[in-house]
Amino acid sequence: MSETKNRTKNPDKGYVAFLGWSLNAVEAAEKFDRRYVVVAPDWAEEYCETHNIPYIKWNFERLNDRSMEIAQTLKEKGVDVAIPLFEETVEWAGAINSVLLDNPKLFGQSLLLRDKALMKRRAQLGGIRVGIFEEAHDKEDVIRFLKRVNQTLLKLDGDPNDPIHLKAFDKAGCLGHRVIRTPDEVDMIPDEEFPVLMESHLDGWEFAVEAWVHDGKIQFLNISEYVTLGYSVFVPASPELEKYRPQIKAQIEKLIKTFDIDFGFIHPEYFVTSDGEMYFGEVAYRPPGFKVFELLEQAYGFNAYQGLILSFDPKTSQEEIDDFFPEEVVDAKGHAGCFGVYPRRRVVSKLEIPDETEGHAYFNYHELTAPLEETVTKRTAFGTHWGLVYFFGSDAETMRDLLKHQESLDFYV
Amino acid sequence: MVETASQANTIEMTQPHLVERLEDAITALDEAPDFSKATKVRRLYDTAKRIIQSEGGCELLERYIERIERAGLFKNTDYAQPQILVPSLSVHALKSPDADTVLIEALSDLRLLAVASGAYRHEAISAEQAHHHLTHILAVNLQMLFSVPSEAERETQGKLAKISRNLLQYLAQRIGYEYIIEQLIDEIWRILQQRPIQVDQIKQMVTQIAICQQNPDIDLGQSGHGADRLISSLYGATQASREDPGVAVYLSRLETMDAPTLQYEATGFARAMHDTGLVSPYHAVLLRFVSDNSDHLLSEALGLSSTGRDCLLSFIDLVRALIDKAVHPESAQAIYGLSLLLERCILYQPAVAPSLWRQLSLTLSAEASQRLSLLFGDQPTPEARLLGGVLCVLGLPLGVGQGNNPTCQSARAISMWAYSDPDYLLQLVVSAARDNEVIMHFEGQSISSRDSVAGIAKELPMDLDPVSLILVPHLDRIYAEMGRRCADREGDPHRWVNPEFHGWWCGRGFAINVDVATGKLHQLQDFLRKFYASYHPFYNGNQPLIHPQPAGVAITDSAMRFIGWHAITILRVALDQENVMRVYFYNPNNDSGQNWGDDILVSTAGNSERSGEASLPFEQFASRLYIFHFDPLEPGMMGSVPPEELEAVSERIIKSWGANRV
Repeated sequence: MSETKNRTKNPDKGYVAFLGWSLNAVEAAEKFDRRYVVVAPDWAEEYCETHNIPYIKWNFERLNDRSMEIAQTLKEKGVDVAIPLFEETVEWAGAINSVLLDNPKLFGQSLLLRDKALMKRRAQLGGIRVGIFEEAHDKEDVIRFLKRVNQTLLKLDGDPNDPIHLKAFDKAGCLGHRVIRTPDEVDMIPDEEFPVLMESHLDGWEFAVEAWVHDGKIQFLNISEYVTLGYSVFVPASPELEKYRPQIKAQIEKLIKTFDIDFGFIHPEYFVTSDGEMYFGEVAYRPPGFKVFELLEQAYGFNAYQGLILSFDPKTSQEEIDDFFPEEVVDAKGHAGCFGVYPRRRVVSKLEIPDETEGHAYFNYHELTAPLEETVTKRTAFGTHWGLVYFFGSDAETMRDLLKHQESLDFYV
Repeated sequence: MVETASQANTIEMTQPHLVERLEDAITALDEAPDFSKATKVRRLYDTAKRIIQSEGGCELLERYIERIERAGLFKNTDYAQPQILVPSLSVHALKSPDADTVLIEALSDLRLLAVASGAYRHEAISAEQAHHHLTHILAVNLQMLFSVPSEAERETQGKLAKISRNLLQYLAQRIGYEYIIEQLIDEIWRILQQRPIQVDQIKQMVTQIAICQQNPDIDLGQSGHGADRLISSLYGATQASREDPGVAVYLSRLETMDAPTLQYEATGFARAMHDTGLVSPYHAVLLRFVSDNSDHLLSEALGLSSTGRDCLLSFIDLVRALIDKAVHPESAQAIYGLSLLLERCILYQPAVAPSLWRQLSLTLSAEASQRLSLLFGDQPTPEARLLGGVLCVLGLPLGVGQGNNPTCQSARAISMWAYSDPDYLLQLVVSAARDNEVIMHFEGQSISSRDSVAGIAKELPMDLDPVSLILVPHLDRIYAEMGRRCADREGDPHRWVNPEFHGWWCGRGFAINVDVATGKLHQLQDFLRKFYASYHPFYNGNQPLIHPQPAGVAITDSAMRFIGWHAITILRVALDQENVMRVYFYNPNNDSGQNWGDDILVSTAGNSERSGEASLPFEQFASRLYIFHFDPLEPGMMGSVPPEELEAVSERIIKSWGANRV
């Protein structure tokens, strides 16, 4: 029955390849008028075959001599552009697109976007404000940096340290993100996590931006407001943050120019300090984690993955784009937010959604599953949450308080 | 109609966001391609969950259910085919601790309601079928509908119970209480006709109906008259107990009665007992009262025929001792067991009466005592409970049921011994209850239930009659051990285990139509021909079956899908009142009346069945059979079995459980 609902494919428009497996992306493409193919590891093969999903088997390891092979295969199939869905496939997309679009600079650009230290230097060169950062190769480096930063801040012995942030060079989002305040905490870092990028802490309001770019221009710009980093986010942002939209837009335009981005999708993170100054955190060239795409669909009604296809496809017309994207903020039906649940107790036996959560008018649905193990592994870094709870409502302030409040509730008991 | 419309306004006005969520969730599910529908179901469940808990929520969902089903909520689940759903399974679904299980059952039931009301034309089920199905669902869930939440319910289900209760209330309101009661009463009578030993569940349901009749808020209309006999047989079978006065008052009334009045009371109870299979606690008071005084009144109170009376008078001391120990208001069912035991005349078998004397003075092991009191309480003593259980098993061998447990072989064996080897059964009960050990022999080697650790059942079964409760754990382990000793042999282990486990009369010839290694059908025609020639009187020289024989059937559901292998006993093969050759068999499931698909409806009454027997026409039975035993020296007349008949049976096999075994 649903087969008939699928859009017929338009042969005059582009043919895109997804790098990596994402059910939501495939579903969006299935319902859209562009031809597509999924390039994913062999474990996706059976599923794709069962459900008639166009599929090419490819295991994304490190780039190597065989990398040309997949680019060639896609070229022969008539694919116009490759879309990275995960951090790990960003440089593959760069390599493949440099072949498909005959533009060697794309590969270099992707490498820049994959390495957090390189990325910050490039931003600095482009005149974008960044915090203090350094690479660390071992624990010694971390302790030295922690001391140096706090020295710079004119802290005396015994004053509480300002924290520093540690992040893996090439991992997405909060994976491997640690906050370090004292030298003792440095001992907890496993050696295999090095090298890492260290950054000073910026006291300010952290937010993320999702920008769809086509023809070197921003076509749609969303501001995602973090309530608590790693826990909760909602879109569109509150009026207080949205009032910075013109400055934020200017920053993104600067970023696009600095990184020479002509098309596609970027997902940068910024801090805005109390005096209204913007600091660049990092930028990714792939869809954000934490289901912001899902939230956008709930808030605006457009499918963000289809937007992704449009912005990557070189055959997309400006008219199509104008028809597709709604007007930012004003067209939103409300604020959509989600909260990542971590169990708060050490031993849990079952999932129990708190009454006040489920009973709140903003509650939409959850994706939590019953616990598989009774003992909860202690969290050291910002790890993976156990599932998301979705909310939807008209008032940003209520949403923010609601999301914040979830942190004090037990979902697993 | 006016009332439901105003309710609809309520939810749409008070919680418009919920309706909006529901719309969105349905749209998202509807638009998703098949492969990602599963990811959209969550949204719909969470929204439906909140709606169903709100005032007027069931009504709202009923209106949306057609769109919900068309969007694909039931796809790839059993609920996609409402015509095959089994109402009794809804009990487990609605009591599940898993929210999604409760919700999908609730939504499916609301769908049936929409179909039944004519608002939703369904391609697979008619309005009448849907209505019928819903009345069944209500009947089997009556306990939840009328009782207050139990501790167990709170513990396992928590808030979810409210969903189930809201739903049932709504369904009952829409369908009408009078339909449910009617249905339920029929259901109770149907089960009682099979004369089960365990009747606690049935007593509970009868009590529920009685409560329902008393409740002025529930309009039963013209229904419920059929319940009077059921209710009175428990709570007021006779003149002196009519208003349920309590056992103490009743006893004091007996003490002042003259002989004719006592006689009147005695026959009143006996009639009620033999009518329903249920025994009133007052009956126990009467029986104990008359036991010491009058042989005549004793016989009257047991409702004995001349055969039973002969037996009673021959063993009067034993019977008095049995009554004194086993019959109490809490264990009144033992009276029915005793009465039928006397009618069966098994006391004339030399070993039975002495065995019962041994049972009377038996001291139980600590383990056995503990298990009995855990399940039945301390009043009367565990010894008395067990004795009462023994009387019931011997009186109603076909009333043994396996409860909710995977122990059909053990239940079958207990029933078979009670039926044709009662003193052996009594021996086993003593070993298990006193020594906490049962020893059997397998091809000369002894097997102790103590040494064999693992049985088939993972947990100790608890919902059983007293004899099964004591014996099943031992039998289960021994049966499993016998199976293990055949593990390295080629072919199906039942070939060797069944005769060694059940008794010498189990045929040493063995036929199976499934190849154990591949699971494929194997020599089907030979198998069927042999079965006809061994069991069918037209082709075996008109020889009635002498001893009950263990057999295995492939159980299928109402859509003919294979469910599992099941142990049964073939009891006899005979013509029914319409000259149809039928196989009469014992099924250790609690309710033998089952729909096996392909119009194979297992009958339990109305086709010359004795209480507790199930029956099917020979051909239909053969089409579900996969294992049977026979005597190789009595091969029958294989050549005279008509090939068309075998062909017809094969066809039935191949279109049902044999579908992917060809």
